[in-house]
Amino acid sequence: MDGIMTQKKNNEKLGGKDLINIGIYAAIYLVIMTAISMLGFIPIMMPMLSVLCPLIGGITMMLFFTKVKKFGMITIITIIIGAFLWVTGMGFWPFIFGIICGIVADLVAKSGDYSSKKKTVLSYGIMCITIFGCFLPLYLDINGYFSTRTSFGSDYVEAMTRIFRPWTAPIILACSFVFGVLGALLGMHFLKKHFEKAGIV
Amino acid sequence: MESAVYNPGKLDRGLIMDPRTKLALLITVTTFALGGAGGRRCGMLVPVLCMVPFLLLLTAKRFKTAIIGIVLFWGSSMLLAFANAHDLRGLIYYIILGSCGVLGRFLPCIMMGRYLMESTTVSEFTAAMKKLHVSDNFIIPLSVMFRFFPTVVDEADSISCAMKMRGINIGGRHASKIIEYRMVPLMTCCVNIGEELSAAALTRGLGGEVKRTNICRIGFHLQDYAALLLCLVPWVLLIVDVVR
Amino acid sequence: MIEFENVSFNYLRTEQASVRNINLKINKGETVLLCGESGCGKTTLIRMINGLIPHFYEGRMNGSVSVAGMDTTEAELYETAKVVGSVFQNPRSQFFCVDSTSELAFGPENMGLPEEEIRERIDTTVALMKIRSLMDRSIFEMSGGEKQRIACASVDTLNPEVCVLDEPSSNLSLEAIEDLKNTLLGWKQKGRTIVVAEHRLYWLKDICDRVICLKEGKIIFDMPMKEFRNLSEEELRRHGLRSINENLSMAPIETGKMNPETITFEKLFYNYRNCDALHIDRLEIPRNEVIAVVGSNGAGKSTFSKCICGLMRGFKGYAIIGKKKQKSRNLLKSSYMVMQDVNHQLFCETVMDEVTLGMDEENRQRVVEILDKLGLKELADRHPMSLSGGQKQRVAVASALLSDKDIILFDEPSSGLDFYNMERVAELIRSLRGQKTVFVVTHDPDLVRRCATVVLRLENGQVVNTNSSGEIKDYGREKEKCYSAAVRICGQP
Repeated sequence: MDGIMTQKKNNEKLGGKDLINIGIYAAIYLVIMTAISMLGFIPIMMPMLSVLCPLIGGITMMLFFTKVKKFGMITIITIIIGAFLWVTGMGFWPFIFGIICGIVADLVAKSGDYSSKKKTVLSYGIMCITIFGCFLPLYLDINGYFSTRTSFGSDYVEAMTRIFRPWTAPIILACSFVFGVLGALLGMHFLKKHFEKAGIV
Repeated sequence: MESAVYNPGKLDRGLIMDPRTKLALLITVTTFALGGAGGRRCGMLVPVLCMVPFLLLLTAKRFKTAIIGIVLFWGSSMLLAFANAHDLRGLIYYIILGSCGVLGRFLPCIMMGRYLMESTTVSEFTAAMKKLHVSDNFIIPLSVMFRFFPTVVDEADSISCAMKMRGINIGGRHASKIIEYRMVPLMTCCVNIGEELSAAALTRGLGGEVKRTNICRIGFHLQDYAALLLCLVPWVLLIVDVVR
Repeated sequence: MIEFENVSFNYLRTEQASVRNINLKINKGETVLLCGESGCGKTTLIRMINGLIPHFYEGRMNGSVSVAGMDTTEAELYETAKVVGSVFQNPRSQFFCVDSTSELAFGPENMGLPEEEIRERIDTTVALMKIRSLMDRSIFEMSGGEKQRIACASVDTLNPEVCVLDEPSSNLSLEAIEDLKNTLLGWKQKGRTIVVAEHRLYWLKDICDRVICLKEGKIIFDMPMKEFRNLSEEELRRHGLRSINENLSMAPIETGKMNPETITFEKLFYNYRNCDALHIDRLEIPRNEVIAVVGSNGAGKSTFSKCICGLMRGFKGYAIIGKKKQKSRNLLKSSYMVMQDVNHQLFCETVMDEVTLGMDEENRQRVVEILDKLGLKELADRHPMSLSGGQKQRVAVASALLSDKDIILFDEPSSGLDFYNMERVAELIRSLRGQKTVFVVTHDPDLVRRCATVVLRLENGQVVNTNSSGEIKDYGREKEKCYSAAVRICGQP
């Protein structure tokens, strides 16, 4: 049949379908994230967030990346994730990180024309750094923060500073990136193994 | 996250505040209680700010959440004081310190977020966003997201029912694949429902070029001004500090 | 009003054309029924009218479709939306807002209408459709029928000239279909052009004035309703259609003797938010028979089925199967539910892995035997999610059979099915009789009459009418009762 491919030429502006897709995948991602953080509700387990969220969220996000064709979608979803973390009480840093990581991740994916596999993996890894924002207030201005709590005693302040030593920060940062990359690879594996066959890609 | 969240009934909401006020409170609480901005000068204010979310939850008749929150918050503070007073040492001490320290910092913010979500309807929220001149590029995904949360949770529930019937559980033989067994049906079902949802929304004209209207009416009342005033205090102190 | 000119369409990634060379003209104010077996292309036609093809579903399209002088292939979706309103099959997935009032305002809000006018429109719609009691409520807490009414109402607030409905009754109870019928009659009176694609035809016989039947993407007949009503049952079957004069009787099939063994359920109580969702002291049913569970929405059917499968947390009742007392936890082990959305219960990569997943020990011989019996042998290496709806259902049944469950429960197994597929499901269920105790939760009288040997009617969480075909003595009267029960669901005198 010599018909015409009738799908309208994509103009650069985000359409209704794109915006709804962002909402849907953000919802799935955040539910998964919330479920994971329930598992690690013991605060000391919190660092696990930076491992499990990128890893399992990768399955969702790789599906989302298959729907991304225009600039802005990755930025918006990352900012929404950051904003959600902020609203659920993780402070404003994830939000700020969301804006920066979102734009960078979007640019990286765009440079691969939203179809290069390597760029997609890298892009998701960058996106995951947003999660590090949750931990930042624990490192920033530790002395300043605890100086207001002198009633707790100097031992406490000392111990706190010892637990959240500055050198652990890059580890968590790296974790979120590395496990983001691994999560993306896992997600791609699932795409091939299941979702393509299920016809939802 | 039960479906009642994000969609409180009209009757049991207690004090009705503009979503913008709630956002301002949230920003203030996260900045000063969690971020520790303002240093010593605001030190006296922090406990007051920390109590705000619990009070608000009480007015919204979320007694259970509020009481659990208060108990956890003061409990962790007491435990810390106890640990300090008795000069505990070693691993237990560090665990107590870590847990309670983190809990004490994050809890007020988490409670504030909870209050914001439980006491705001989606239409109020979008109306507020609109008034804050947030672009439709964010408002539409956000409203889809709130609509979709209960659906995702529902689907996940059905899937865990199906898994129970098949005897797939964490202790069982299939433990290694538990993530796969959960994620594959979840993604498939959610994507299918999402597809139908977008089709329905698009046939109702979503994504047009005209400016969307909103029939939800929001505005500031006395309680909003009081809350905003409270928010203003630490910020003024902070600015005064910086200027000096 | 609506004109198709030599239209053909292929969905992306499919070889076969979904519709071929369609030429069709629908006049203003006409009410048209599109029918035909599954996959005949009626949904494709509906999607072309509302513009979802080619703007949402991608593919290869030839020809042109115009609605009210507007080319829907050219016009943007939000332009088409002003003229065409759409209602879809699944009530759960077609609302965009969380509460009903915002949902009704959603369409006009997208059009950028002023606030006052939107309020006026909502008031008009609410009055017309008599849905005052549904306003300002969470849509998540509504029944399927109520959701579908909200969907219709949200179309109504846009005041479209054309309304298209894609299998709107598939997931509805008989009662809710009656509401839908009234809504359509109201629209018809307003002079709107209505196009309905449907499998269940009986409720449309007084609404539609023209019937178009499709097969393999082509129109095979196009006739006035008057003529269509006179078609014989055989002719309807030949086109894969269900009866136009639907028999709403929910009488079970007549079988000789009933299995004398019984399963007894005791203390089937369940409270949901302080209201009695289920209240059955004692229920005795014959073992290894097919039990249909019917009743209107909110009668407690889903609570009942969850309790039977042991999925209800805090459920204290128990079953006595062959003198052994089975509590909730054991019920979970001995029962299996084939869910309405079968996708929830398919986990593995191949059908073979899937059906052997819950097995105690590998018994190749039995696996092959059962796959063969269910017609799945050739599909053993396929991914379960890539199968058709009916095949997925059979995979779920196969895994229930292989994991040695005593009770198999089907939740709405025939929703949205054409005649042949419905018969096939009925056949599948019938074949389980004598080996397993089968519960079928359904609204579909056709299915009940074809496979059930016992009909259990629930109302307000209680069994109001049981009927087993084994008790022959006053069978005639019981049958009468069942029929009147079905009529009562319909809201007819």
